[in-house]
Amino acid sequence: MCVAAFALVGIRLVDVTLLKSLDTGRAPAQTLARADLTDRNGELLARDLPVNDLYARPATFWDKRQAAHDLAQATGAEEQRLLAAFDNAKHPYVLVARQITPDTQAKVMHLGLPGLEFQPGGKRYYPDGRIAAQVVGMTDPDNNGISGLELGLEKQIRAAAGGKVVTSVDMRVQYILQHEVETARQTFSARAAGGIVMDVNTGEVLAMVSLPDFDPNQRHESDGDSSRNIVAQDVYELGSVFKIFTFSLALEDRTLKSLDEVFQIGQVFHLGKFPIHEAEHMPATLPARDVLAQSSNIGSLQIALRSGPVRQHAFLANLGLLKPVKTELPETARPLYPGADWGQIQTATIGFGQGISVAPLSFVAAAASVVNGGRRITPTFLKQSATDLRGEQVIKQDTSLQMRDLLRYVVTNGSGKRADVPGYDVGGKTGSAQVPGPHGRYIPHALRTSFCGVFPVHDPRYLVFILLDQPHGTKQTAGFALAGWTAAPAVGRVIQRIAPLLGVPNMAPPTKLASGGT
Amino acid sequence: MVRILNFFCVALMGLSILALYHVSEKTRVAHMQLSQVKLEIAREHGAIGVLETEWQHVASPERIQQLAQSRLGMADDASAQLSSFDQLPRRGADQAPLNNTPVHNASVQVPATPAASDPGM
Repeated sequence: MCVAAFALVGIRLVDVTLLKSLDTGRAPAQTLARADLTDRNGELLARDLPVNDLYARPATFWDKRQAAHDLAQATGAEEQRLLAAFDNAKHPYVLVARQITPDTQAKVMHLGLPGLEFQPGGKRYYPDGRIAAQVVGMTDPDNNGISGLELGLEKQIRAAAGGKVVTSVDMRVQYILQHEVETARQTFSARAAGGIVMDVNTGEVLAMVSLPDFDPNQRHESDGDSSRNIVAQDVYELGSVFKIFTFSLALEDRTLKSLDEVFQIGQVFHLGKFPIHEAEHMPATLPARDVLAQSSNIGSLQIALRSGPVRQHAFLANLGLLKPVKTELPETARPLYPGADWGQIQTATIGFGQGISVAPLSFVAAAASVVNGGRRITPTFLKQSATDLRGEQVIKQDTSLQMRDLLRYVVTNGSGKRADVPGYDVGGKTGSAQVPGPHGRYIPHALRTSFCGVFPVHDPRYLVFILLDQPHGTKQTAGFALAGWTAAPAVGRVIQRIAPLLGVPNMAPPTKLASGGT
Repeated sequence: MVRILNFFCVALMGLSILALYHVSEKTRVAHMQLSQVKLEIAREHGAIGVLETEWQHVASPERIQQLAQSRLGMADDASAQLSSFDQLPRRGADQAPLNNTPVHNASVQVPATPAASDPGM
């Protein structure tokens, strides 16, 4: 008996001291379901802020009508909805309001109503509002990503809850790009505008802008707002910027043996029964390098025809232009191009950038491959630790070097002069494409202008692309709305502002300012 | 002898029970305090999160630019005034900048109004 008593006590001792968990305290509720999204420098792009959902137990109210009125006043909820829910005996709990702020919570507490419960939760907040709206995206009221990186990185964001997911975006660059694209859009009264800044060696997208934009902190779009990301979701005939690929192909295959080779231009080129017109200012003959610099359509189509449809198709496919570009962004677009009827006429028109429609993001990735030494890059919105992520060789390095020289020539001697920035060695190409209307015909006098700039062009690090949809000329441009007057200056201003921030050395000697300083 | 031993064991057991109860109570109180502290830490983390978000909002590039332009009279075109140390004139050298090196500035060379031959395609 005595032994049994001691054994019992011993067992209890072991149970209490070793086996029984002492962790009886209640752990703090985990309310933050999504990780922070930050830019590449750790600046916040999106964060869950702790908020509460307010529930009520109507059975505990003495006066349901008064309770509905008071709660509607305090939370902004609809009084009639609350009253109907309170009177419905089927629902013991009624959701009064979601994601209420601490101020609102204090007002509710001040009412002194019984039967109220606050359910902790999180509300996604975007400190920079519209600036990176389309690329960051947004969440629904249940905190699920519904667009942009919020949707594309959903798994990573959920997995790193309480931590952070670092994107490739640089908010300083993003703001500058957004500011300059918005300024250009307003100056030239463009319907829409977009821009991209990309590291040509890693494929990291440092900035992406699509206007009109929206405020992700508001759950609804205001008049004139749009959540559509035109540079990732839409496809465009980009016009003369596509001549970059026409010349790359010609140099790659040596169908263009010398950049001094002279081409007959004229005003009309008859391709079968189709006349192709040239800009009025174009001279009768042009050397090849000036075909690109002056952006001659007739010169470019002659160069494209030397390659032929099969080779042109294979080259553009190899650059990734004939399939949707895959990135962390869920928004993507399928390019439009000729099918089985890709013949001589299609080759000629694609040679000057019409007859093929691609997403600007897809174009930028292909253009970056042309200038970065000829190696494929894949656009990414996640920060990369490596400084060189170039993939397989898609064009020869020599071709890439020649294209860099040509793009610099376009800026120093051609249509891209207004994109130049002293000391930053900008190279680039303008594009002024006609805009197709709803019935398949081009809209008279409507243009879609773009400029693809690279700097510093002889050791490329960054590519800046800006697109303006149907800009209008101004007094300052003497009515011209072409890319050299609209998109090119905007790219120049972006480069001028972001280059010092990105640590690109200015190689220009110090200039003497009007004030006498240097 | 057996009675003494039993008495000693019972006494020891009683003391053990008291000591264990004491330790158990202290641990329970400590755990409650720990939970409270964890809760406060979580609240503070939440508050820090809100403050960081507010800081991000007030220190956004857009706001900084507005303040810099309106309060400090700063402008965007500062990169024209930036250069590298390599470009600085040596001590005793000609103080005139550049030593008459031509300035490569396309935006200066470009005419302010468009010419018919330069539509900027």
